[in-house]
Amino acid sequence: MLTLQNASVMRGRMLTLDDVSLSLAAGRTLAVVGESGAGKSTLIAAVLGLVKLHRGRIAWNDAPVATIRPALVMQEPRAAFNPALNLRRSVMEPLTARRLTPDPVRLARFCDGLELPRDLLDRRPDQVSIGQAQRVGILRALIAAPPLVLFDEPLSALDAVTQKHTARLIAQLQAEEGFAALIVTHDLGYAAAYADDIAVLRAGRLQEVQPAHAFIAAPQTEYGHTLRDAAFALGALEHVA
Amino acid sequence: MTINITDLSAIRSGRTILHPTSLTLAPGERVGLVGASGSGKSTLGHALVDALRAQGRMVAHVPQSPDEALDPLRSMGFHWREAERALGASPDPAERDAIFAALRIDGGDLRKRPWNWSRGMQQRFVIAMALIGKPLLIVLDEPTSALDPVVAANTMELLDTYLSNRRTACLLITHDLGLAARRVERLMVMDGGRIVEDTPTVRLLDAPRTQAARALCAHRNWLALPC
Repeated sequence: MLTLQNASVMRGRMLTLDDVSLSLAAGRTLAVVGESGAGKSTLIAAVLGLVKLHRGRIAWNDAPVATIRPALVMQEPRAAFNPALNLRRSVMEPLTARRLTPDPVRLARFCDGLELPRDLLDRRPDQVSIGQAQRVGILRALIAAPPLVLFDEPLSALDAVTQKHTARLIAQLQAEEGFAALIVTHDLGYAAAYADDIAVLRAGRLQEVQPAHAFIAAPQTEYGHTLRDAAFALGALEHVA
Repeated sequence: MTINITDLSAIRSGRTILHPTSLTLAPGERVGLVGASGSGKSTLGHALVDALRAQGRMVAHVPQSPDEALDPLRSMGFHWREAERALGASPDPAERDAIFAALRIDGGDLRKRPWNWSRGMQQRFVIAMALIGKPLLIVLDEPTSALDPVVAANTMELLDTYLSNRRTACLLITHDLGLAARRVERLMVMDGGRIVEDTPTVRLLDAPRTQAARALCAHRNWLALPC
């Protein structure tokens, strides 16, 4: 289980993450939503250990998160890969870095699950579509079987149809692999459809955290209401509540 | 004035990315142009804007990325004055302040260059420029995809009000049928560089005829997905 206890991050003189306490159990999905500058990316950086905590602690079952080597799926699918390498080499990096041998059966199963043609991995990032590149990004994240996967706006670069298709593939793989998913998104429709819990961040502070359906039905904070109503106005929540 | 354009097309590197296309928009009509990535939506938007400008018509265009609209070497104030001249509007500081306040960019320093503003503010500034004067048509290419939801919803409301108060027609380009369905009365679906369906919004949602339209309709809502 991932736990954040009073986690705070200081950038300059400002707290970009301010006293945030959250937990995410194995196999579950937590969506963190909020506007630009809310501290969503800082939260991911803090969990990954890329920024130092000013106060509080972040742990996976009482051990440092780094010990379980969490994986990250990034927002810009093509930019997430070394443009000079073919995709296979990038995908294998989490294994080669740990001197593990790739399991061809597992790789084939992921390729099928993510609807990636077998020869696609022999291409470079600029030779595949954005949707395919993002699915390869998911493949790379899962190849070394991490118990925790962080998703930083995983669908925002994709078109509406591809978004929903990719979300479903992620959920299917999560059911098979059992990883915990921490998803940072500004798409409340996605969060409502796929997350167990929704946490609302604003200006680095946790506004509220609730089961997804409860949040959509009745946000507890004024800002939660504003966010939900905006998602309705944008057509992202039709037929959800 | 009715907009009537015939035979728009585009070829890049020997590949036809927009097949000959004609379209008509009634004064004040709001039309959505929807389709997957790479279906030719933005290309059609660009071609339409170019064709109308070549006819001497006043058209406002909000491109997908503010980088396309803003010169990194010019101040924001320069862009604003240039837009006023291009759209034939006399400078009206009161109107400018009202638009800026509504789009929440009134705190921005106009003496600065685009890269001193945040991306979201740049995008809202470009939308603000499109609201100057009374153009015949405003083409909005994914106007809200770079904005966070609260600002995006406010921006769409403001655009609705603006369009209702004028006889400006609107072409809303988006991959998001859910967004378009709430804002326009007519939808055009693009696939492979062609408009494959052009129909009232209600009818498209009820009975999509083409495969591209069926895919968009089936994936309109996060929870109403086909298995």
